Amino acid sequence: MRGSLRRSWPLPRVSATVFVVLFTAFALVPVAWMLSSSIKSQGEVFQLPIQWLPSRPAWLTYVQALGRYDFGRYIGNSLFVSAAITAMSVVLSSLAGYGLAKYRFPGRNLLFLLVLATMMLPLEVILVPMFLITKQLKWLNTYQGLIVPMAVEAFGIFLMRQYILGIPDTLIEAARIDGASEIAIFYRVILPLCKPVLATLAIFSFRESWDLFMWPLIILTKDDLKTLPLGIALFESAYQTAYNELMAVAAVSLIPVTLLFFLFQRAFIQGIALTGLKE
Amino acid sequence: MGAAVRRAVRDGAAGFRLPPHAGWGIAFVLPAFLLLLIFRVYPILSAVAVSFTDYDLFSTPSFTGLSNYSQLATDPQFRQSLLASITYVVGVSIPTWGIALALALAFDERVPFRNLLRTGAFMPVVMTAVPVAVVWKFLFHPFGLVNVFLSRFGVDRINWLTDQSTAMPALIIVGIWRAVPYFMVIFLAGLQAIPRDYYEAASLDGASAVSKFRHITLPLLRRTSVLVIIMTVIVTMKAIMNPLIMTGGGPAGMTRVLPLLIYQTGFQYYRMGLASAMSVVMLLLVLLFTVWQLRLFREKT
Repeated sequence: MRGSLRRSWPLPRVSATVFVVLFTAFALVPVAWMLSSSIKSQGEVFQLPIQWLPSRPAWLTYVQALGRYDFGRYIGNSLFVSAAITAMSVVLSSLAGYGLAKYRFPGRNLLFLLVLATMMLPLEVILVPMFLITKQLKWLNTYQGLIVPMAVEAFGIFLMRQYILGIPDTLIEAARIDGASEIAIFYRVILPLCKPVLATLAIFSFRESWDLFMWPLIILTKDDLKTLPLGIALFESAYQTAYNELMAVAAVSLIPVTLLFFLFQRAFIQGIALTGLKE
Repeated sequence: MGAAVRRAVRDGAAGFRLPPHAGWGIAFVLPAFLLLLIFRVYPILSAVAVSFTDYDLFSTPSFTGLSNYSQLATDPQFRQSLLASITYVVGVSIPTWGIALALALAFDERVPFRNLLRTGAFMPVVMTAVPVAVVWKFLFHPFGLVNVFLSRFGVDRINWLTDQSTAMPALIIVGIWRAVPYFMVIFLAGLQAIPRDYYEAASLDGASAVSKFRHITLPLLRRTSVLVIIMTVIVTMKAIMNPLIMTGGGPAGMTRVLPLLIYQTGFQYYRMGLASAMSVVMLLLVLLFTVWQLRLFREKT
């Protein structure tokens, strides 16, 4: 008995388990604390000893917090802007990725080099000139200003190109011989084969756009265009001490991406593993 | 002679003829590249142009040559910010590399409830940036969970975010918390690419776990490792949310990292020229890393 226990639990496995459990606890405690505090009254949040599950959950915190600002509006804006950015970015990236992977035209290599060069570029660095050009276009305080400049992602183009490169040319040529138009080939032959990578790209793009903060912060002054992250920051600066309500707002904002993660866990994790392919 | 000329003309003409369907290729890439040119390439060029001017967003920019750059060279605030950025970048990326690698190796062992634990460990990545900053600000509150936890070990109350010596470490802890699961996934992908028979062959030769790690895992993960380091450097270099929300750059500018200084200079003090000059400096730093990365990969292949 003891022997078999030792054999199935060798030292590396034991230490690996301990380490993994410790890290998972570290990863989850802030999330648990956020959820726990969001159903406490304001007086209870700093009470000791800690009650992780309050005896009388104050669900009303959520109603109260979300009623303080026009959160319905912010959530609607965020959903619309994120969906638009995601849709545009998926369409533009797959078109461009296909063009780069399967057509020969002058300047193609130069364009691909451009993709590689801008892939690692942090937007934070060019925030000032991006703001200036959006101002020139008179797009400050508009939905198109929120959406269009964010709708193209070099990494998405790169990802689609790499994926489509792996699709055999013979499929495209066969479709051409059958008389399919170039657009039909893209739509009927290429896109259906790209489903997994499209899912990954869409999830990634949605997560990034749901999270956008600096861009809306600098181009928006109008309240009715504000997105949820701005709403949370607004709430945070106005009701600094209403921690229970702040945690409720934060928890609500996490719902869409968390939902995506649990629905498409494989594609979600695959997407991150794929960012490791940047070369 | 005549034939040669004719051939040359024909070859030349053929050189100008576009490959079949080239028009379609151009049409497919055009929309994306137009946006890329307008909203990525042009801004970079214009940042360089604006950095040579004095521009407050309202009056017309006036050319001032290199004066923004010479101001940066002597500006103690810029130097402090650069130092804060470097501290943050090094403070997050090196521990992240080690912990993420260790965690990936641990998950590669036959850990019980592996999928469940991995999902749990992954939650920081699922959380978006603003809620992360807001939640951690609460955790680092003087009466917050971190101090409650530490008090069990007899540690006195720490004013994490307002004390000059602890504000940056607090931000670094949050940075590591958020980055480790992300890079763990990349390491796991790297580990899965290593053929199992290498380990089996090594086991047959009687190699110990440590020597298998040193002679198989580490060398074959080199590429992933370099990539993780470079990605963490770039991700942490651009981090702005946590300092913006948790500390506002304080206390005494200790956590005013470069992106935050750029934001404040440009959009709170309306000094677009100076902010652009800072952007150009940061751009060069990022470029340096990207070139370094490309060279490292070229050496390998």
